[in-house]
Amino acid sequence: MKVTIDNLTKKFGDVVGVEDLTLHIDDGEFVAFLGPSGCGKTTTLLTLAGIYRPTDGEIRFGERIVNQVQPKDRNIGMVFQSYALYPHMTVFQNIAYPLKLKRVAKNIQHERVQQVANVMGIGNLLDRRPGQLSGGQQQRVALGRALVKEPDILLFDEPLSNLDARLRLTMRGEIKHLQKDLGITSIYVTHDQVEAMTMADRIAVMNGGHLQAFDSPDELYSRPKTLFVAGFVGNPPMNFVSVDVSGSNGSYIAEADSLRLEVGQERGGPPAGYDGAVVMGIRPEDIQISENGNVSGEIFIVEPLGREDLIDVRVGPHSFLLLENTESQRQSGERVNLKFDMQKAQFFDPQTEKSLLWQ
Amino acid sequence: MSLRGELFDRTKIKTEEASASLQGDLVEALRLGVISMLVLLLAGFLLSGVIGPLFALGSVEETVTDVLTRLALLALPFVAYIAAASVARRYTWTDTPRALSLALTSTVLLFLLVAVGHYAFDYGVFAPRPSLEMTLSQTEAGIRVEAIAPGGAADMAEMQVGDVITAIRRDQVDLAALNLRLSQSEEDTPLRLRFIRGDEELQETVRVAIDSDKQLSALLPGLIFGLVFTVVIVFLPGQWAPYIALVGLMTPLLVGYFWVIVATFSYRTEGLIPLDSNDNFGGFTLENWESIFVGNIAGLEFNIWPILLTSLAIAVIMTFVVLLVSSMAGYALSRMNFPGRRFFLSFTLILHGFPAITLLIPIFIVLLRLGNIPIIGELIGFNTAGGIAMVMVAFQLPLGVWLMKGFFDNIPWDMERSALIDGASRWRTYWEILLPQIRPGLLALGIFAFIGGWNAYIIPATYSIGSGVSNLPVFLNELIDETAPVDWNQVAAVGLFQLIPIFIFFIFAQEYLLNIYAGGTKGSS
Repeated sequence: MKVTIDNLTKKFGDVVGVEDLTLHIDDGEFVAFLGPSGCGKTTTLLTLAGIYRPTDGEIRFGERIVNQVQPKDRNIGMVFQSYALYPHMTVFQNIAYPLKLKRVAKNIQHERVQQVANVMGIGNLLDRRPGQLSGGQQQRVALGRALVKEPDILLFDEPLSNLDARLRLTMRGEIKHLQKDLGITSIYVTHDQVEAMTMADRIAVMNGGHLQAFDSPDELYSRPKTLFVAGFVGNPPMNFVSVDVSGSNGSYIAEADSLRLEVGQERGGPPAGYDGAVVMGIRPEDIQISENGNVSGEIFIVEPLGREDLIDVRVGPHSFLLLENTESQRQSGERVNLKFDMQKAQFFDPQTEKSLLWQ
Repeated sequence: MSLRGELFDRTKIKTEEASASLQGDLVEALRLGVISMLVLLLAGFLLSGVIGPLFALGSVEETVTDVLTRLALLALPFVAYIAAASVARRYTWTDTPRALSLALTSTVLLFLLVAVGHYAFDYGVFAPRPSLEMTLSQTEAGIRVEAIAPGGAADMAEMQVGDVITAIRRDQVDLAALNLRLSQSEEDTPLRLRFIRGDEELQETVRVAIDSDKQLSALLPGLIFGLVFTVVIVFLPGQWAPYIALVGLMTPLLVGYFWVIVATFSYRTEGLIPLDSNDNFGGFTLENWESIFVGNIAGLEFNIWPILLTSLAIAVIMTFVVLLVSSMAGYALSRMNFPGRRFFLSFTLILHGFPAITLLIPIFIVLLRLGNIPIIGELIGFNTAGGIAMVMVAFQLPLGVWLMKGFFDNIPWDMERSALIDGASRWRTYWEILLPQIRPGLLALGIFAFIGGWNAYIIPATYSIGSGVSNLPVFLNELIDETAPVDWNQVAAVGLFQLIPIFIFFIFAQEYLLNIYAGGTKGSS
């Protein structure tokens, strides 16, 4: 089912939860709401669920405006961070509860619950109470309960945050697979960008109650439209440095203190036209330690990540994070030359924080 | 010195301690014992010398501090023995002779210290005692005078050896009773003794003298008791200590319950011992219970069933209404935002602290007026169980509302949201999802309300004057008021009768109280 959010605003007294949010989600799409805590993503989700009434704007499920529709009449399923299982009911009763409320016949209830439980791999736990299950099993029960009534829309509120790292990886794959299989429009709230990048078809990045960007993971990563998106998406985060870009005729120079970098026509043109300093962003993987690099710096600290080392190099007053093969055995204090891949550099307007390259 | 060096040094000191000589241990034991004695002395001094007079300034009786001081002084040697024995306990199972010798030696030394203190301050066994200055013994006929101190009080009153004392004034006494009277007397208190000399019954007034002879032999039982006590402490398994303390504290309660139960099944009790009419052990009877159901106690005629029913009606109505209103109000206060919520919350708290007694007369008038309204007056007016229950409910509600609000506050919002999204209405969420989770709370409040209603006295006694409506506590009071002499065994039976439903209630509630749900939500289980 298509979900359309038009100019949605939700305020709690004077506190703005989310402001002027417009999003169009296609049928069967998996959308992630990504942002730091307090950015309004959960507020948006609960407004979609009907727990909160919108202060302003319009929400449509398909063609139906649901602003005033009660949660129970929206036919949505939701999975909570805390699982929110009913502790006094068995797993069976938990999963069957939505069906019971819909007055589905007892034998059909049994059939459907067993079916869902088998899909979730908890078919043998139906007689237990939630307190007797592990975190992963509880999560599966919660998912089963959300799925059993065949919802039009599935809502996830940071469902994996309480699981351990390994289980999180497994559940991530399972949820994505299940969603693709069932084709249910899903909205997934998370503050973990890896989750959002790996699972979602499109990611809505939010900050301070505003939508920052709404794009596919690839697009967000390689063509960030705002400074916030560039900084928030990607791990380790993008390096930022304030530079002056000057030049003409296809050859541009980005300059900052001791730093002098050549930029090509495609990336150098727009920032050169900007009056004053701009913010240049460059991802760690686009900087290499190389003999023939033209920027000289000193290694400040080396953080081994296992597969590679995260190295913090100081160039004058600036600090750059970059990734380097562990075999090179870098030590802090070592002097190195850096090579910047300026074809991947991003430029942002320091005032509006919008990208100068992509609009 | 480096941190490491310091740590190393400390461990060294500890090992030295562990391998210390017997003398070293003895010094440690004595030091601990003396320190604990000094602490208790200081506590006693603070109680009687500082806090007591402060109480007296506010013209409050300072008997509490007196009792506590005496308790501290009484416990003083034993606490010292325990402190000393605790040193010996480290060898109890590894080197028993050493532990015993250490404990006994330190006990003797501490005992001597205490004895010197008692001797110096005329305390304990050396305290001056009221005395009649004659030796007495209990015989069949009465208390026989065995010897008389020449020139003493008895001699002055011209008592003679062989006299048999039967009474003080008109009160029959035995030796124990006489000694009790004596211990409560002061110097020069006249005791008019009746006694039999030959065939004559005579009467003489003996003036109590104060015997301040210090007899060292009186110390011996104390020493023996102290040594036995120490040996017990040395061999006492450590994990028993809390139980012993608890049993000690509970003993008075248990004795009370024991008496109530024994008394209801006997004609007469002397202390805890049931007696028949010839003062012999026995005299068990069911008459006390029978007369409750027959409805006649010492001429007071009654029917127990309406009284029981009134009690039950008050308790049940109260439990039901309190649970219903508190849980719903608690839910609203916990989950909803409405004007005046904060005011309401603080106001109920103030109401809870409000002394209900001060409202007795205004509510009396309100109930009286309510009683004049047709139909409603029949249900909740003056002289009705409903009216009494309503007043009791009103006094119970502030506590209940706060308690329930607290329980609802502990249920995560997500649980409720989840139920709403699953398709439940708000009412159903409250009823099917939230209420089951606060079942322990409901049960606790229910028990409070039920017991409160069942044992209610002041309010039923005030608002059911001169009518047939009375509950068990009111009836119990009537029983004491209107029968003379009061048959306490009968009163005990009615009291125990009142206890039975509560007892049953608890047996069933116990099972539910222990069956507390856990888990289901991360972080809140």
